[in-house]
Amino acid sequence: MKRFSAWGYLAFTLWGLGMALAVKGWRLGALAVVELAFGLAWSREGLGPLRRWRFWVLLAVAVALGPWLVRRSSLTGADVGLSWLGLSVGLEMAGRALTLSLAFSLGLSSLSLSDLVAVFDRLQLRGLGFALGVAMNLLSSLQEMARVTFETIRLRGGLRRPVVAMRLFLITLVSNTLRYGDQVVHAASVRAFEPQRGRRMRVSLQRADLWLVAALAVSSVACWLFFA
Amino acid sequence: MVGLFGALWGVVETTLGTYLNVIFPAFTNTFFKGVILGGIGVAVALTGRFFVRKRGSVILFGIITMLLKTLSPGGSRIGPMVAIFVQSALMELVLTLVGDPRRWAFVLGGALAVGWNFPHKFIMMRVMYGRNMVQVYQKLVQDGSQMLGLEPSMALLILGILLGVRLAVGGIAGWSAWALGGAVAERLGQRSQAVTE
Repeated sequence: MKRFSAWGYLAFTLWGLGMALAVKGWRLGALAVVELAFGLAWSREGLGPLRRWRFWVLLAVAVALGPWLVRRSSLTGADVGLSWLGLSVGLEMAGRALTLSLAFSLGLSSLSLSDLVAVFDRLQLRGLGFALGVAMNLLSSLQEMARVTFETIRLRGGLRRPVVAMRLFLITLVSNTLRYGDQVVHAASVRAFEPQRGRRMRVSLQRADLWLVAALAVSSVACWLFFA
Repeated sequence: MVGLFGALWGVVETTLGTYLNVIFPAFTNTFFKGVILGGIGVAVALTGRFFVRKRGSVILFGIITMLLKTLSPGGSRIGPMVAIFVQSALMELVLTLVGDPRRWAFVLGGALAVGWNFPHKFIMMRVMYGRNMVQVYQKLVQDGSQMLGLEPSMALLILGILLGVRLAVGGIAGWSAWALGGAVAERLGQRSQAVTE
């Protein structure tokens, strides 16, 4: 399903964010259609937010609030009434939220950990890529450690004194994190590994990325020239 | 170490954040969620800074946490990521300006970081929905008056309390981070002393 390299997906995210902030009115709907088409074709996992009911509730609230936020052009002339201007404001709010969220999730959810590390390598931020790799690999261990620590304190009746329990929990958590850190450093040093040296991960620009960037540039110019 | 403390902040954001999202859904009042998550996240980041005494480390914790949130299932949400980044940038700014880590710098950095939740709502509403400041202000006052049991006409008092609570929680988080760092250092020192003996 992945058609582009990390650069292509990052370019799409930046383009989507820029367009969502720049365009207004019905063009937001057109942008949402473009993003949906991109997602269906090349980034299905990025459509995840659309499967969550909370996301739709947020959009519905934005649309529903519109007529009450803008009351001046009320059709009924009453203080609180339905106004078309308000409804259009609500729709625009919902459209902007939808396009921003999609731009963000379509691009970034297609990037794997190794893609991000490679991007950092390319940007001369090797230490950050290594730190991200360590963080990602230790995330589940730290979660498990936090769970075990909490359960131990709970089973020993520590929750009867919440402040002391919290202090014990945090001290154990931070101590064990530092211990993990020592282990990581030790493991790296016995393998003669240095984050600033060693094999660089590469993420190469593909022909498809160039076509994508060209298409995005053409659509931006067309939008600016013909629909401004 | 940067990766580890970034991961620890990430654990707080992903696990506690999920629980809090269930307790306080996103479309209801986000005050408690922001204060709890912000307070604990800031405490973790500043505790990390206690041990990683390098300039720029807190902002790196923030970037790692932000990226972990992106890589977590269903985590690619723009609002919390901007909040994490700005919070870490504010803490870093204070600690960089102060130079050597001090307790009051931790308190100030923590207060500013959690206090950021207040303007964050204005800015993200403006970016995401295009609402103007007055509408967000009205919504904040309405929510605040319901939560505090005060009349909406006391708008300034309501907003002051909402901001004050955030600053206080952030300050306490900074203070706790300093105390926690000291307690952990003492414990680790005792352990290494025992091993030596």
